[in-house]
Amino acid sequence: MSDVMISADGLTKHFGGKTGLFRREALVRAVDGVSLSIRRGETFAIVGESGCGKSTLARLLLRLIEPDAGTVMFDGVDVTRAGPEELRRLRRDIQIVFQDPFSSLNPRMSVGELVGEPIVTHGLARGADVSREVGRMLDLVGLLPMHASRYPHEFSGGQRQRIGIARALASRPKLLLGDEPVSALDVSIRAQIINLLEDLKTELGLTLLLVSHDLGVVRHTSDRVAVMYLGEIVELAPVEALFAAPAHPYTQALLEAIPAQDPSARRDTPLLEGDPPSPTNPPPGCRFNTRCPFAIDVCRSAKPALAELRAGHAVACHRAAEIPARDVLGLVEASAARQRRIALFAEASLSSPPSN
Amino acid sequence: MPTDPTSAGVLRVEDLSITFDGLPDGFRLVDSVSFEVRAGRTLCLVGESGCGKSILSLSVMGLLARPPARIASGRVLFEGRDLLTLDAAAMADLRGDRITMIFQEPMTSLNPALTIGDQLTEVILRHRAVSAAEASRQAVAMLQQVRIPAPESRLAAYPHQMSGGMRQRVMIAMALANQPRLIIADEPTTALDVTIQAQILRLIRDLQRTNGSALLLVTHDLGVVAEVADDVAVMYAGRIVEHGSATSLFSDPQHPYTIGLMGSLPSLGTRQSRLASIPGAVPPPSQWPVGCRFSTRCPFADARCRAEVPEAREIAPGHIVACFKAPIELQAESAA
Repeated sequence: MSDVMISADGLTKHFGGKTGLFRREALVRAVDGVSLSIRRGETFAIVGESGCGKSTLARLLLRLIEPDAGTVMFDGVDVTRAGPEELRRLRRDIQIVFQDPFSSLNPRMSVGELVGEPIVTHGLARGADVSREVGRMLDLVGLLPMHASRYPHEFSGGQRQRIGIARALASRPKLLLGDEPVSALDVSIRAQIINLLEDLKTELGLTLLLVSHDLGVVRHTSDRVAVMYLGEIVELAPVEALFAAPAHPYTQALLEAIPAQDPSARRDTPLLEGDPPSPTNPPPGCRFNTRCPFAIDVCRSAKPALAELRAGHAVACHRAAEIPARDVLGLVEASAARQRRIALFAEASLSSPPSN
Repeated sequence: MPTDPTSAGVLRVEDLSITFDGLPDGFRLVDSVSFEVRAGRTLCLVGESGCGKSILSLSVMGLLARPPARIASGRVLFEGRDLLTLDAAAMADLRGDRITMIFQEPMTSLNPALTIGDQLTEVILRHRAVSAAEASRQAVAMLQQVRIPAPESRLAAYPHQMSGGMRQRVMIAMALANQPRLIIADEPTTALDVTIQAQILRLIRDLQRTNGSALLLVTHDLGVVAEVADDVAVMYAGRIVEHGSATSLFSDPQHPYTIGLMGSLPSLGTRQSRLASIPGAVPPPSQWPVGCRFSTRCPFADARCRAEVPEAREIAPGHIVACFKAPIELQAESAA
């Protein structure tokens, strides 16, 4: 069994660009020649800001949309050329948890039907075994058997996301894709769902692909991270290395922009200026060159390849070796009182379950 | 509340309670809330969905429809005048002039049919007796102040021609145009990407240093609080549960809800094994408990917490907490 769960090679997707007699649509280069491989059992995160192509990339990996070029291999199968039967198996092996638990669940289906559907579709159980399996799934995500007869609108956002996770897990997938799975949730609920996903990953031996703009969540959950900018991966590294020594000027700027975690950590260092250029008309050469403080002539003409700077740490930057490492996070340690009380709170909530 | 007798608050909210028609008697979506925002200071009102923070900020702006909303008690004093007693015309004179607002989504709060220049000069002309040319000159100066490049050429642009970050800068320019005494910002960076959010927070902080107005900033994000707040009020289910300077609140969090919120945030430093999440969810207002409203989710709650409302008390100078159990170390020790 190969160490690689899913891999992409030269994956490309452009939208629009149609020309007619009277119109010429802009061509959006949503994903442009992306290659990566995700290892069995790891949590791999794709981060970037709106419009960087991270969600498109995730959808291409699952073949929810067809690529213009490139291939995806999942567990030895060429996803991009899979026939209907193979695709069915892939749909079982790869599942998604969506961002918005309010729009991703059919409001006319009960929780039991929502979670039972994939079990029946993929022939994993029949008859009374289906509802037993539904009960097992609900238990897995911290819901009660009685919830099976209720409808999505009767639940809070956090519980709805649990239903979404139960439905995703019902077909016993190997790979779970979370597309901003906690972004729509309140802070206190977000932490519950993050903990739940981590527990499930260990318990079920899942591989997790996380698409997120939230760098705190990425830092906490991921093993490796790919940073995207305007349809391309600019840096790919183990999470510790990426946060401790980001090499690409964009990654440095991105991490520097994370709000302080304490008022004493406020800084006045210069920030990245301006907005990303439009993906319809990315600049030639390195796509970050228009905003990069280190850009020189070569950056404006030649596209840098994603190459290893150190073992396992790849960066697409002509000047990666010259750019000085710097402390972009500017962390300060939380006060002793804060650390102590958070620990007390965590300990106490484990020993006294809530009354609702 | 942290009060400095030498400088009067621009905004003083005293014992404000808000209820809605059709709700049972004594049912308060905002319950006995008091705070003060002083000139040149930023107070962050922090809480999750449904805690009442937006109702509160709308009521200060006079934008809460009454009825169905009803003021059950309290006063909202702006430079000594109770805003709750002003008629619509008097309130409209203040709004956009002495008191201004920055909303979360600049795309929906800017008029898509008018140019940036039209909207900026309108704000100035509505409240100032100046010529159109002078208003236009001031509009350019405002765009410059919020660091919009090539401001003269931007006056003719429509909102949809600008990026989200630029639109939010325009909103901030509009809010600052008449040198207001009080600015209310409701989740001003929530819709923005992280690098743009950092730019806007930096801008808010810099402008605050120079223009001296009082800023009331409503947010759910403790990161935003850590970046801009001088003072913080934490709201849960319609009540302020903790209130103090940003420094004391972050270094010495007292209310279990505040502590739980801080524990829910992933650290950027070393990886924690697990986040300290708050169990359960915020109950709907119809199920708010009688005593401390956090008691259904609080791991330290006992029978008294479920029966009695904890009074706000000053646990350290200027640091207020409404909890019987604070500081929680004492509970942990006595339980051991």
